[in-house]
Amino acid sequence: MKLSFYPGCSLEGMANDYAQSITAVFDALGIDLIEIEDWSCCGATAAHSLSEAMSVALPARNLALAEKMGLDVVAPCANCFNRLRYSQQMVKKKIVDIPWDLTGDIRIHDITRFLAEPEMLRQIRERVRRPLKGLKAVCYYGCQTVRHPSITGFTDYENPQTLDLLVSATGAESIDWSYKSTCCGASIGIGRKDIQETLTRRILDKARQAGAEAVVVSCPLCQSNLDVFQRGVTEGSLPVFYFTELLRLAFEEEPDARWFKRHLTDPVGLLQAKGFL
Amino acid sequence: MQDTRERQIIGEGGESFLRRMEGETGVTISSCYQCERCTNACPVAEFMDVKPHQIIRHVQMGRPEVLLNSATIWVCLSCETCTTYCPNDVGVAEVINHLRNMAARSSVPPKEKHLAVFHHTFLEQLRRFGRVNEFWLMNAFNLKPGILKDKIKDGTLKDEILLGLALGKRGKLHLMPRRCKGVKEIRELYRRKRGELP
Repeated sequence: MKLSFYPGCSLEGMANDYAQSITAVFDALGIDLIEIEDWSCCGATAAHSLSEAMSVALPARNLALAEKMGLDVVAPCANCFNRLRYSQQMVKKKIVDIPWDLTGDIRIHDITRFLAEPEMLRQIRERVRRPLKGLKAVCYYGCQTVRHPSITGFTDYENPQTLDLLVSATGAESIDWSYKSTCCGASIGIGRKDIQETLTRRILDKARQAGAEAVVVSCPLCQSNLDVFQRGVTEGSLPVFYFTELLRLAFEEEPDARWFKRHLTDPVGLLQAKGFL
Repeated sequence: MQDTRERQIIGEGGESFLRRMEGETGVTISSCYQCERCTNACPVAEFMDVKPHQIIRHVQMGRPEVLLNSATIWVCLSCETCTTYCPNDVGVAEVINHLRNMAARSSVPPKEKHLAVFHHTFLEQLRRFGRVNEFWLMNAFNLKPGILKDKIKDGTLKDEILLGLALGKRGKLHLMPRRCKGVKEIRELYRRKRGELP
């Protein structure tokens, strides 16, 4: 199977560990991810905040490139995924004039939903060599992956399941909780740190109350936000994993502690205590 | 005691602003009946000077000056919780976003200066490289008028430098920006859309 891949700016920067674990997981599953050649930034929050027209036009360039390749797209960053989907819908409605040829016919996949399809899930379960038994985690989806449902296509937006299915497939326990898609405030950190900290603290507190030892995410902004916030906290900190990091850990016979060295909230202690490393 | 506040009725101030907003956003703003579900669902309502349901009311009453001067339009996270839970399908987040667009193009000074300047800086970086590098973005933002001074004052600059060092040590900071070769196309797009850019 072949898919085009839109990494987005985060995966080239702070989330490069996410990018590496995605490559490892897709390699193991035998899926070819072909990076869209010469992709450009989707505009993220800034574009739609200042100009709705630009927020449609900027992602459209990448959609046109993917269409030329004739492949469906996977966009692992929640914000990119949301902006690409939004742009495609608007282009189809012919509301905004864009300089690129676009039919809007390719599918844009959220990475968790793509991997949580029954057939993919079966293959994932088959490839688990070392189940992560005994790890208790909450799955945190964030806002952009699931909302607005008319853009993302998540019908279970109140209690999404894709990440939970994937975490369960590794053998770990995914705990039910109520803050799966409450915004973490990452986008407001520069300018209103107080708001960001209130939201982030709330999510981490609720995760601890639910009995979690770790948080599992699929969005690079959520990861860096929750991870950076706990910098320097020694007691009761919760490591924040990309779900692909856990999949990779469960797939490989000989895991390497260096995969996790990019975390600010060090997860190695927890993984060693559980006997995974 | 008699309430001396002047009572206003929808339509009294003219309907042109409401009609304009409905036309530009495609949202049926008139169908809001002030149930306040949006405000109750909003994760940042406590930080807003005008709450989400009040935003909608002000649009209905035709008071753009209150809206463009509010902190709310900058504080809103566009997390879409309000729109998702509105029983009448009012796109509250879309309305707030459109007001933010309008404010950015107006001469009204933004109530949350840092947030507005950050968005502008982001789009400038995108225009320059076609992609956005986190290190360059932060540096460009810090060099905008008044930002560095504010950050030194409240201590965020020190935090930021320490975080930068921690990230650098872990190989998460990329000092050289990656460029998109098609950046010319992007710049051409900016030129074509300049009427729609702030």
